[in-house]
Amino acid sequence: MSKRKSRETHMTSGECVSQVQRILRERFCHQGLPEKPVGLDSQYKHLLELLKRTAVHGESNSILIVGPRGTGKTMLLSCVLRELMDINEVQKNLLQVYLNGLLQTDDRIALREITRQLNLENVVGDKVFGSFAENLGFLLEALRKGDRGSSQPVLFVLDEFDLFAHHKNQTLLYNLLDVSQSAQAPVAVVGLTCRLDVLELLEKRVKSRFSHRQILVASSLTFGQYLDNVRSQLSLPQDFPDARFGQEWNDSVAKLCEDKSVEEILQKQFNSSKDFRSLHLLLLLALSRVNVSSPTLRAVDLLEASRLCTVDAKANMLHGLSILELCLIISMKHLNDIYDGEPFNFQMVHNEYKKFIQRKSNSVHNYEKPVILKAFEHLLQLELIKLVDGSSSKTQREYQLVRLLLDHGQIMEALQRYPQCPTDVKQWAVSSLA
Amino acid sequence: TPRYATPSIPSRTQPARTPGNVLEEARARLHVSSVPESLPCREQEFQDIYSFVESKIIDGTGGCMYISGVPGTGKTATVHEVIRSLQQAAEQDEIPQFRFIEINGMKMTDPHQAYVQILQKLSDQKATPDHAAALLEKRFSNPAPKKETTVLLVDELDLLWTRKQNVMYNLFDWPTRRHARLVVLTIANTMDLPERIMINRVASRLGLTRMSFQPYSFKQLQQIITSRLNRVKAFEEDALQLVSRKVAALSGDARRCLDICRRATEICEHDASDKNTTGLVNMSHVMAALDEMFSSSYITAISCASVQEQLFLRAVITEFRRLGLEEATFQQVFLQHQALCRVEGLQPLSVSEGLAVCQRLGSSRLLLLEPSRLDVLLRVRLNVSQDDVLYALKTD
Repeated sequence: MSKRKSRETHMTSGECVSQVQRILRERFCHQGLPEKPVGLDSQYKHLLELLKRTAVHGESNSILIVGPRGTGKTMLLSCVLRELMDINEVQKNLLQVYLNGLLQTDDRIALREITRQLNLENVVGDKVFGSFAENLGFLLEALRKGDRGSSQPVLFVLDEFDLFAHHKNQTLLYNLLDVSQSAQAPVAVVGLTCRLDVLELLEKRVKSRFSHRQILVASSLTFGQYLDNVRSQLSLPQDFPDARFGQEWNDSVAKLCEDKSVEEILQKQFNSSKDFRSLHLLLLLALSRVNVSSPTLRAVDLLEASRLCTVDAKANMLHGLSILELCLIISMKHLNDIYDGEPFNFQMVHNEYKKFIQRKSNSVHNYEKPVILKAFEHLLQLELIKLVDGSSSKTQREYQLVRLLLDHGQIMEALQRYPQCPTDVKQWAVSSLA
Repeated sequence: TPRYATPSIPSRTQPARTPGNVLEEARARLHVSSVPESLPCREQEFQDIYSFVESKIIDGTGGCMYISGVPGTGKTATVHEVIRSLQQAAEQDEIPQFRFIEINGMKMTDPHQAYVQILQKLSDQKATPDHAAALLEKRFSNPAPKKETTVLLVDELDLLWTRKQNVMYNLFDWPTRRHARLVVLTIANTMDLPERIMINRVASRLGLTRMSFQPYSFKQLQQIITSRLNRVKAFEEDALQLVSRKVAALSGDARRCLDICRRATEICEHDASDKNTTGLVNMSHVMAALDEMFSSSYITAISCASVQEQLFLRAVITEFRRLGLEEATFQQVFLQHQALCRVEGLQPLSVSEGLAVCQRLGSSRLLLLEPSRLDVLLRVRLNVSQDDVLYALKTD
């Protein structure tokens, strides 16, 4: 192979890697829609039929999509809407209103948003006129005048539905659901929420007006399907510009997924949570280690990414403490062991620490009390310890009761890993009596 | 200008499709919005309200009536029907002409908006709540124009409660004025509302004309569905009976009954496309619909949870058993969790991951948690019964 040619392939490999980064990042970060939701066929069908009946026949409906976070509720709805919007008849007729419980924090704002998105006649440009009461009256009047046959159906999507149930009197929910249950303009109310007990939040009369249709989105994937999904998520599409590189990449991904250590990592990820968002985070971290010098995804990358994902946050903080602070934590641990989790104050910690110093008579760690208090307060600021009754109490600093927010195991592990930890401190940590 | 805007929803480019087959026809008839001409099973209540309002209109006096009942028992529908037949009677000059005004406590933003809405419907004037109250006061203190009776329907009365109760007081005080000729019909859910939330002078003005709507029995629910279907043959008899018995046992809410029937037709339609069955909704379809609408999703959610989440739930139960309490701190549960991990041959989780698992369960409300800033000290409770959790964990 000549020198010139090798340089050429090197150039394209750089471009290829940046292409790969672009395509996969878009997939992981922007939550691109898949062709069809995985393992949600019956739910998909139910929702599609329901929305189609609203759009085509003008039947009013209400439905709740419930499922843990990251299982694809919004994805399911968007996929259904994508297919629905392909129908010409629907495209021309369906009006859509999107509300989010985090943005529309009270009915006043939600109502303005509805009026704006429906572009009713009291909207000029982007501004909604009239008071809250007038807006409500206007919207209800508009909906009341409509009828099943002739007015355009409206699709209301309420994201974070449970937050709407916390609004005063649940006025908005009552009115939307009431419209869906009476002979007015056809509406479909679709709520998305992660709370399984969302129906218990609704008032009696609101609940009676809700049609009690629920779609539970819970992934019942097996590990095999999960693995297939990882493979397809990492694979490049057929129309990748450099076909040879694309083929090589896909082959390497296929090989990677059969690797025992990779399978182990994915199994662990699958065990802790089935949702795709945490998987995307893991894959994204692994992907960011792909560069020109190592243009394929290796098992090491995934291992490193998994280490980053599963690291214990508290352990990292313990590594950054000084020896004195560590000693204080050990004496707190001893107090916890002896008094069985009762809260303690600075004086008790100080005494425990003094006992250690006296016994060892090693002057290296013998500090003045103010210095120790400083260290104690530093721990308080890091929230490794927490005041029992708020910071507002009038007791002196030394006598305020605190609790330790660390687990026994965390402390011992941190001590093992602490760089150049003095041996006597280690020994002291092991036995509370010595 | 927006001031004179007409409220309307844009109209469709093509008209909506009309029902094509028997099932679609049945579905359209079963929709809660298609209120039938005459309500079955509410003849007695209809008669009572009718004679009350009719006598007031004929005598030219005023009065109040309080109607109560759990949601979905046909209160508002019955009153509307009474008004409809009274209006027909008035058209045929059997009784004097009257005006009908309707307000709904839930459809206003503030109790004082009631004045504004009443005034607007009475005389098409717009005013602030205070001004509207003054105008209405004047209107009802003086003899009614054209000696016309006004019938005012106040739905969701409990929402009109204010601390001074002046809205309620006015609503019940106006009919007692000499020439006001106002009949007030009030609707709410609880039977003892007047005694519970109203001060004496308000409750006394409301008077003792009360009526309560009992929840529907299964025979009545069955009759309602049959009358709605009106000879459209889409259901088997047994299927109807099952729905009505189930709903009557739970709440007696007619809306629920209709919704379930509607869902059953959908399931039937779905089935019929696969294989050619009779096309009638039978027991199995209704059972499927009932399951869908009444079963709680907790058990499915638990059995679909990840391994660590299931293990955490098991750890919670183990810890509860050990403590003999229904509450434990995260730290305690986490110790159990790690022990269970070792037994199951899984790699133990770090505390951060354990907390993440716990928070995930908390966000879907399988667990009830304290705010997360308490970290490892936060207390954990189950939101489901222990038996349910064990059942869900055992089946897989």
